[in-house]
Amino acid sequence: MNKKKAAAPPDPVAVLRGHRASVTDICFHPSDRILFSGSADGEVRIWDTLQHRTLSSSWIHSASHGIVAVSSSSSLGTNKFVSQGRDGTVKVWDFAHAALSRSPVLTIKTNTYHFCKLSTVKNPKYFPTKELGRPSHIEIPDDRRQDESAAQSCSQSSEGLQYVALSGENPSEVEIWDLKSAERFVRLPSSIISSSSGVCNKDRGMCMALQLFLPSESQGSMNVLAGYEDGSMLWWDVRNPGVPVTSVKFHSEPILSLCIDSSCNGGISGAADDKIVMYNLDHSSGICVIKKEINLERPGISGTSIRPDEKIAATAGWDHRVRIYNYRKGNALAILKYHHATCNSVTFSSDCKLLASASEDTTVGLWELYPPA
Amino acid sequence: MEKRELEGAVVSKVREVISSITNAKHVDEVVSALHSIAALLFPLDSSLISGSIEECYRDKVLRVKIPSDEERHDWWDAFYRGVGFPTLARFLLLDVAPNWLVCFSISAQKHAYDVFFSHGLVSEVVQILVPFLQQNGSDGLDVSNVVSNSERLLVLCLLENNGVLQLAREFGGPFESKGFTNERIRPAVSRVAQIVASIPDKARMNTLTSLSSHVFFKQIIVQLLSLAEERDMNLLEKVDTLDEMDKNGALLFVGEMFSRISRRGFSELLSSELVPRVLRLVKKCLSSSNHSSTKELLESNPESMCCSRMMEAIRDPYIIERISEQILHQLATHHADDVQAYWVLWLLFHRNLKMQASIRSMFVDKFLLWKVFPITCLKWILQFAVHECPPGNSMSGHDRPRFSNIVERLVTAWSKKEFVQTAPIEQQAYISAALGLSLETMSKEELDGMKDSMHLILQGVSCRLESPNDLVRKMASNVALVFSKIIDPKNPLYLDDSCCGETIDWEFGFSALKKPHCGEKIVERTKTSELPSIDKDSDFSVNKERSISVKSKKKLLNFDTLDPDEIIDPASLNLESDIDDDDDCASENSYSSSDSSLQPYDLTDDYSDLKRNFTQLTDIVAALRKSDDAEGVERALDVAEKLIRASPDELKHSARDLTRTLVQVRCSDISLEGAEDSAEEKRQRALVALTVTSPFESLETLNNLLYSPNVDISQRIMILDVMTEAAQELAESKILKPKQPPTRETSSLISVVSDTRPWFLPSSQGTPGASSWKEVSGTGAFQNWSNTYERELPLKPNQVMKGKTRRWNLRSPFAEQNQMEFSHNKFPMYAAAFMLPAMEGYDKKRHGVDLLGRDFIVLGKLIYMLGICMKSVAMHPEASVLAPSLLDMLKSREVCHHKEAYVRRAVLFAASCVLVAVHPTFISSALLEGNVEIASGLEWICTWAFDVVESDTDRECYMMATKCLQLHAEMALQTSRALESAKSSFKSSPALPSDASKVTIKIPYLNKD
Repeated sequence: MNKKKAAAPPDPVAVLRGHRASVTDICFHPSDRILFSGSADGEVRIWDTLQHRTLSSSWIHSASHGIVAVSSSSSLGTNKFVSQGRDGTVKVWDFAHAALSRSPVLTIKTNTYHFCKLSTVKNPKYFPTKELGRPSHIEIPDDRRQDESAAQSCSQSSEGLQYVALSGENPSEVEIWDLKSAERFVRLPSSIISSSSGVCNKDRGMCMALQLFLPSESQGSMNVLAGYEDGSMLWWDVRNPGVPVTSVKFHSEPILSLCIDSSCNGGISGAADDKIVMYNLDHSSGICVIKKEINLERPGISGTSIRPDEKIAATAGWDHRVRIYNYRKGNALAILKYHHATCNSVTFSSDCKLLASASEDTTVGLWELYPPA
Repeated sequence: MEKRELEGAVVSKVREVISSITNAKHVDEVVSALHSIAALLFPLDSSLISGSIEECYRDKVLRVKIPSDEERHDWWDAFYRGVGFPTLARFLLLDVAPNWLVCFSISAQKHAYDVFFSHGLVSEVVQILVPFLQQNGSDGLDVSNVVSNSERLLVLCLLENNGVLQLAREFGGPFESKGFTNERIRPAVSRVAQIVASIPDKARMNTLTSLSSHVFFKQIIVQLLSLAEERDMNLLEKVDTLDEMDKNGALLFVGEMFSRISRRGFSELLSSELVPRVLRLVKKCLSSSNHSSTKELLESNPESMCCSRMMEAIRDPYIIERISEQILHQLATHHADDVQAYWVLWLLFHRNLKMQASIRSMFVDKFLLWKVFPITCLKWILQFAVHECPPGNSMSGHDRPRFSNIVERLVTAWSKKEFVQTAPIEQQAYISAALGLSLETMSKEELDGMKDSMHLILQGVSCRLESPNDLVRKMASNVALVFSKIIDPKNPLYLDDSCCGETIDWEFGFSALKKPHCGEKIVERTKTSELPSIDKDSDFSVNKERSISVKSKKKLLNFDTLDPDEIIDPASLNLESDIDDDDDCASENSYSSSDSSLQPYDLTDDYSDLKRNFTQLTDIVAALRKSDDAEGVERALDVAEKLIRASPDELKHSARDLTRTLVQVRCSDISLEGAEDSAEEKRQRALVALTVTSPFESLETLNNLLYSPNVDISQRIMILDVMTEAAQELAESKILKPKQPPTRETSSLISVVSDTRPWFLPSSQGTPGASSWKEVSGTGAFQNWSNTYERELPLKPNQVMKGKTRRWNLRSPFAEQNQMEFSHNKFPMYAAAFMLPAMEGYDKKRHGVDLLGRDFIVLGKLIYMLGICMKSVAMHPEASVLAPSLLDMLKSREVCHHKEAYVRRAVLFAASCVLVAVHPTFISSALLEGNVEIASGLEWICTWAFDVVESDTDRECYMMATKCLQLHAEMALQTSRALESAKSSFKSSPALPSDASKVTIKIPYLNKD
């Protein structure tokens, strides 16, 4: 076995400074070279990732509460992004030519005051994205029996999938909201069913992380993967809001982040304990199997992300480090040291060229790693 | 010719000469008359004189009958030993010299006048001449002429003609023939010696340099020492015993001369002449012989024997002591090696040492126990007087009863606690060295033979190890090392990390220490005032603690690691990451090649940046309490100061807890070997920060802990250090405030008290723009009693500064410095909290607390801290409130007369601080109000400082007391001025308290009425 000396891990290609408080969440624009970042003092900044400059900055949530998450997705449209504040609101913003509208397009009062980041819909990359036209009928799933038809209607267009999943007013529940009508679409577990089916979420505690996705196998109905305070993970299908598809428990501490790969066949999860778990989702049998468990020296993974080409995954650690893993095999590739405070979030750009990391030290790091062929 | 007839002839001749001179009308008559008698006494060539006199007298001179040698010898004898010479000499000096001598030609003066003195019997000449040195002009004589003539003749006789050497010869040899008996010789010798030695005293000032005492004695010494070079065995025959020596006039004279010269304070001169000669002799002998025969060679050499006899001839024990001291020092300055020095000492003193008990006790007692010599001299003294054998061949251990006796005495003196407390440090070092050097030559059996010695040595070591002085501790550890080497040569005991070589430095680095040491001290002096400061020995206990812990740790390590039987699992030696790599590579090879681009980077990671994750004070407290988690404690210490300085809201609540915990952390337990200092420092800095940010809470705890039985001495010292530093920091906290323009009105209206300028500086009135006052450093080694200050003045409008540099900007020179002034002393409001509780319990002896006795270092530190507090509160009203109670504490007998110099130094420091801190206007107003408490306190400082100056053994105490007195004088002067001005302003008011006039303020050197 030849052991040549490994190269030292790279430094960030750029560091974006400007936030005055901990940067809580970051998100690349699905097509443009733009990065959104939200901070704990309620400020959101829009960055040009080519010139490394702030394009726009505004306080969109109250400074005392701050921003929990920002999200932008092709399903929302190219000129919109969502922000979630700890003030109990989710706001949808319109921006054009890097200028942010003064008031949000939409404000949803979710009355949630937790740390769980919302999730927009992730659909497999081979999913047709060019379809135009919005679904004309969005049914409000107050009645669970209409769920299926609603889900089916969703599946017709990716642009139209303007849904977000978030931890609900009762934090043990997952709620999915429709951004167009600003109304709640479904609650998981649905309260009526849960009482009868005996799924008791109280034991699991709060929902701490979730991912909304639309697997190709589900005939267009949205699925949610949700991690809970006790370390367990539930896989929900909105067609069956009463009972989860499956329930697994890989972690011993609260799950802090979840990420599903772009084919929706697997994912990675980080928790407050000292391990990272990679797993596969078997859609046909509806089971989740562990693929690789990576033990860490120091606990705490507050953010995870898988590159769209599914080659590498990144984690943001409480130990100030961003770690890169080979997503297929699960072996460690790099330990990126730049931040000098807890890392809150990592994300890859859609062209796979850039990795961004957000940290409590008020900076955002941009990295170029393993450039896609 | 019969003797009496001859004398009669001499007398009549003298009478004839005198009468013819009295009747002489011309100088040549005088010359020829003198020549007529000189020709009878001395072998003269008449033609030498005849050339210079007139024709008519020349024949007379030439006609003088020249007697045979034998006749002349008899005449000479009769002339000088009879009455002839005194009569003629008196006439020559009193009549001829003033009246005729000026007219003499040079040759006539030499051959007809000077010859009577230069070729005479020196002992008689001297006895005649010397009284004339002090002639007083009662009968109208030209006194100065007479005196200067006598001086000239003395120089001629004693110095130019080697008169002193002749004197020695005159006394030497068989005396009977010369009319001396044994009984008479001694007084005669001593009388002449007395006269010779007194010449420089009698000689007038500013006359001849050759009669000044230094030059004169040097010449005499050289002449006398040349006696030895003559190798005149006649002089020295039969002088093997002391009785015989008494009869030898030459040696007696030499001895008398040397002792008289030494009595007059010139023993150094003597030894500086003597030592090179003897050293040369010894070197010659050593080079020409192998070592065994040196003794015989020296004994057979007449010159060396003569030197030896000369030393014996000196009988005065005091003089011998002085001379031998000087000889030792001289040997050291000549860099003699051990062998040479031994033989020099042997040559000069070995007979004395054998025959005179006083000389032995001088070497063995005085030189070992009371005097202080350089360390090389100490070695020689030990070699010569104690071992009594040349260096190199050691005597066997059993027949040295004298030796063990001496060692016993050394040990007894060394081990006494009083000795450690009172003896000057140089002497302590000297005796420690003496003890150590003699212990080095001892065997275990010898040591066992001495009763109590072991016990005494241990006692001495232990009482030294407690000392605040680093040198004293080093002495203890060195002696302990030697001692342990005797007990068990294979297992030496190193009490100190620094001494680990084979040879021990018995000088204790003293030569280097004599220069101004301790940079810290200098810095402190320059800070605010010229107060003397005491050494900072804060590291003392810490070091001690550390060195012990280091040792134990080393031992532990040794036991742990070196287990040859331990079975090591080879697998456990491999790093985990390597195994992972194997796995990965294997799988990668089997995998598709598409992932080959995903080469891992270097995955090593260090965690240095992750350590600082304490963010709450309560976390720190909790971590510090977990003494088993060393890393946690260390991390907590790392962040503690920063967190405290941030001064979070909850600091007030957790300050007490935090203080207590920080004090009780054991830094030596938690930190790695060698890193104890940094941990200690962090802990101390954190405590200082705590005391500065929330003084009242933390001070309460600190003061409680200070006298608590649960802390040890090092913790107490640390507490006091923390308080000291905190006080200084609080006092130096600066706040900008706009300065009032220094106009005359404001400066007189605003009370001087609010002025931050120390009172001892001159007033800042005068030209605006002048810089602040700086003390001019005094020149010379003397403690000057007045301080000089200087300041830079701005140029007057018409002055132009010459020079190269220019300022290009337009700002006025005063703009930068005068607009704002820094000053805010936050300390005064906390001063009472700092000082009063700490002063409360110092004199109570409780369990584990005994400041006045065993824990005197804590007491010294405490007083030092109080002094710093006083200094920090200087010029504020609080100073005059706190000063009396501090002085009360200092005044108490156990404190100000403490046995340890360390404490006394601290008291002097604190007293000086009080003097600086209390503003004179406070004192004057206190006096006017009838409050004499503070005045009496200050007066006590003065009297006590005088006391210290007069009687203290410690040099540093003495110096500090001098400085203290100087400050007191300044203070008293200022106070009296303040009183004057106050009285003049009070003149109108009739209610001046009567007390004020009764109080006297002592101003040394100022009020001389």
